[in-house]
Amino acid sequence: MIDTAPQQTLETALDKIVAKDVNVFYGTFQAIKHASLTMKDQHVTALIGPSGCGKSTFIRALNRMHDLTPGARVEGTILLDGEDVYGPDADPVVIRHRIGMVFQRPNPFPKTIYENVVYGPRIHGERDKSKLDEIAERALRQAALWDEVKDRMQRSALDLSGGQQQRLCIARAVALNPEVILMDEPASALDPIATSKIEDLIGQLTDHYTVVIVTHSMQQAARISDFTAFFHLGEIVEVGPTSQIFTHPKEKRTEDYITGRFG
Amino acid sequence: MAITTARSARSVAANRSVRARKMADAIATAILWAMASSIIVMLAAFVLYMVYLGGQALTPSFIFGVPKETTAGGGVGPEIYNSFYILFLTLLFTVPIAVAAGVYIQEYARPGTFRNVVQFSAESLATVPSVVMGLFGLLVFVYLFKWKFTALGGALTLTLLNLPALMRVTQEALASVPDTLREASMALAGTKWQTITRVVLPSAIGRLTTGVVLIAGRIFGETAALIFTAGLSVPFNNPYDLNPMRPAETLAVHLWYTHSESIVPDVDRIGNGSALVLLIMVLIFNVAARVLGRQLTKRFTGRAS
Repeated sequence: MIDTAPQQTLETALDKIVAKDVNVFYGTFQAIKHASLTMKDQHVTALIGPSGCGKSTFIRALNRMHDLTPGARVEGTILLDGEDVYGPDADPVVIRHRIGMVFQRPNPFPKTIYENVVYGPRIHGERDKSKLDEIAERALRQAALWDEVKDRMQRSALDLSGGQQQRLCIARAVALNPEVILMDEPASALDPIATSKIEDLIGQLTDHYTVVIVTHSMQQAARISDFTAFFHLGEIVEVGPTSQIFTHPKEKRTEDYITGRFG
Repeated sequence: MAITTARSARSVAANRSVRARKMADAIATAILWAMASSIIVMLAAFVLYMVYLGGQALTPSFIFGVPKETTAGGGVGPEIYNSFYILFLTLLFTVPIAVAAGVYIQEYARPGTFRNVVQFSAESLATVPSVVMGLFGLLVFVYLFKWKFTALGGALTLTLLNLPALMRVTQEALASVPDTLREASMALAGTKWQTITRVVLPSAIGRLTTGVVLIAGRIFGETAALIFTAGLSVPFNNPYDLNPMRPAETLAVHLWYTHSESIVPDVDRIGNGSALVLLIMVLIFNVAARVLGRQLTKRFTGRAS
């Protein structure tokens, strides 16, 4: 009975992002086919599936990153708090302000640690030095990086280790105070210790943010997510509470994948 | 027994082949080393010879004095000044246009006709020999605009000459900035313009500075394009005139002029001295620009080079 407690919160949580019948094309190649998925507010939704199944393509559709790729086209509806992300009035800059993103490889700017964290607030017009300092500290604390870098904020971000760089990228994303954070295999380029730090961090982020994470590691999905969606060949095969997906999958393909029969 | 023999035979053959390969490696290394070293030797020999020839000429009256038309003892002060003046004017026109065009082509233009035409034009412009460009400058600035020989005409001609090269350098500098940085900026709700001005250009500043230095070296040494446009003289009354609408013979042009046209008796002294001064100027400029590039990189990226 205790087991059902988190699931109840899952059921009562609000819908943060709702994707309905989403198709993504690269030129004539269809990478995502009729994908529908609801991502709950202040919960972690994990997208799993074998390489090339379209999970990264799907997550990049949520904050309109495909706008930057020549030849990419997104069809269908994606609602953020009920507003169409691809609607005629939607501004991609505003959308990306509300939906932050962390990439597969740490990609800090070749600037100081401080300048990396305050980049977002700065380009949105925050000039007050003490405000920026405050934002930087809050963001770095949320990313569990503050203690490691507080004495070397003016050093280059490129001098940090890979794991620290990735947490810096998370800090940089949360500095904008987004509502949703998308993570595209954020730990795939990191060693196990750095990975476990990132995973702990993701658990804490749901106090403030909705998290959507792409991962090829089923263990990771099982450890950190509330909801799991299984992608295969551009389709969402099955969606459900993580515990259910991993213990009682309804679809044969899901079961084959999580038991390691392919992928 | 048979097995042992076969094995030892094989190992002898293997040893021989290893020795031969090691030998080939050593020879190749030696040859490559010699080739690389020959560059140092050539440079050293060249610089020493220049210093030997021109060293005596480098007196204050030569470096700061004004040139003479018929008698010995002329200096190159105004020519040095003009070299820098025309360099400054040329960079003033070239850098903004070339960087802006490079940014547009690399960051904004989608593949298509316009982009191809700009690329094609730049490549065609880059292949025009400088003497032809000088002739063009003569026809347009000197005759058509009736400017006569002017520093401005020379600088504009050099702008045409160097624009494509700097545009290409800009494109390559921008292309060297990883797309992941652009994505990072866009994902932080940056606009394209903010991404370019705050992330892409600062990351490319080192390569851009190097490109500008290379262009500057070419401008210092350019003669053919300037003979027809900036002329072979300096203003008699006011050799250090700031007005761009007056003749402006540069040091490189002066070097050519003294050796081919001048009737002064100390041609060799002036020629050798000018060559050495030109060399030193280019060297100073190179070092200064490198230091500047490193400073800029450090300032923008928080890290040395």
